[in-house]
Amino acid sequence: MFTGSEIVLIITVMAASAVEAVEALTIILASGITHGWRSTWEGAIVALFALAAVVAVLGTTIIHHVDINVLRVIVGTLLLIFGMQWLTKAILRSSGFKAMHDEAKIFEKDVEELKKEKHIRHGKRDSIAFVVSFKGVFLEGMEVVMIVISFGLSNGNDYSRLKYAVLGAAVAIAVIAVIGAIVAKPLSKVPENTLKLGVGIILVSFGMFWMGEGAGVKWPMSDVFILILAAVFTTTTFGLIAFFKGVHNRMHHEGHTL
Amino acid sequence: MKILKTIWKLIISFLLFWKDFLVGDSPELALGVLIILGVAYLLRNHGVWDVASITSLALVLMVVTVWRKTRDHR
Repeated sequence: MFTGSEIVLIITVMAASAVEAVEALTIILASGITHGWRSTWEGAIVALFALAAVVAVLGTTIIHHVDINVLRVIVGTLLLIFGMQWLTKAILRSSGFKAMHDEAKIFEKDVEELKKEKHIRHGKRDSIAFVVSFKGVFLEGMEVVMIVISFGLSNGNDYSRLKYAVLGAAVAIAVIAVIGAIVAKPLSKVPENTLKLGVGIILVSFGMFWMGEGAGVKWPMSDVFILILAAVFTTTTFGLIAFFKGVHNRMHHEGHTL
Repeated sequence: MKILKTIWKLIISFLLFWKDFLVGDSPELALGVLIILGVAYLLRNHGVWDVASITSLALVLMVVTVWRKTRDHR
């Protein structure tokens, strides 16, 4: 039914989308509880349409007008930047230098901040709720869009991969939305830090491979080399976590305040 | 004149959005990735050197970025 690379693509996009969807859900819940649900939902829905338009316009334009090697360099570079950002944050969190991402705490902070904002109404619409919800969904969604487009178009003018990438994102967003609607509180049990670590390694490995291939690098063993890159980055990541955990613990013992 | 100012503001906001989105609080990462890309173009068709160089550079970039971020806390 699905090939191995299609399954990797769907799972990667699903995991990345789930992380961003959980963060967007926290913003939607905070906005809805403090400023009302009607405008909050309107903002979220408009943002989803805007994101779909970005995928449609950007995806179609790229497929029809950009050379495959240029495309690989662009998507590879984007994935490498995003992957490195996710990975370094995950290393800092796992080694204790950065607080673990906690949706419950972020939710409380968002609610406190939004309670201070006055209700600005235009007819039946609360502008604050609309803007906060729109911005939250649009910004978190943009990262998903970039990953969907990058993974979906890595084979150039082949729509099938884009279809699978969109499927992965849609499933993740739908699942998080349904769970969020049922429990009506931030999904702090989703292991965001672990997901970011895993997805970060995949993004960096694919990003390196495609960027190099687009630039003319001849990878030994072709696509199989992605697995070697993943192994190298995984080993380095866990090595860095172990080393900096030691540094953090020593600092703690010496009485440094973090 | 007012329209020009509005268009200018929109362009600046658009550019700032993409700068924040791609560079964020880690300018060294974006710069490092561009350097890796440049090295990949320079060393392509040089046997295993291209593969070894860009992979090593990516690892160095990871280590330097994490080290720099932890230094802020020390």
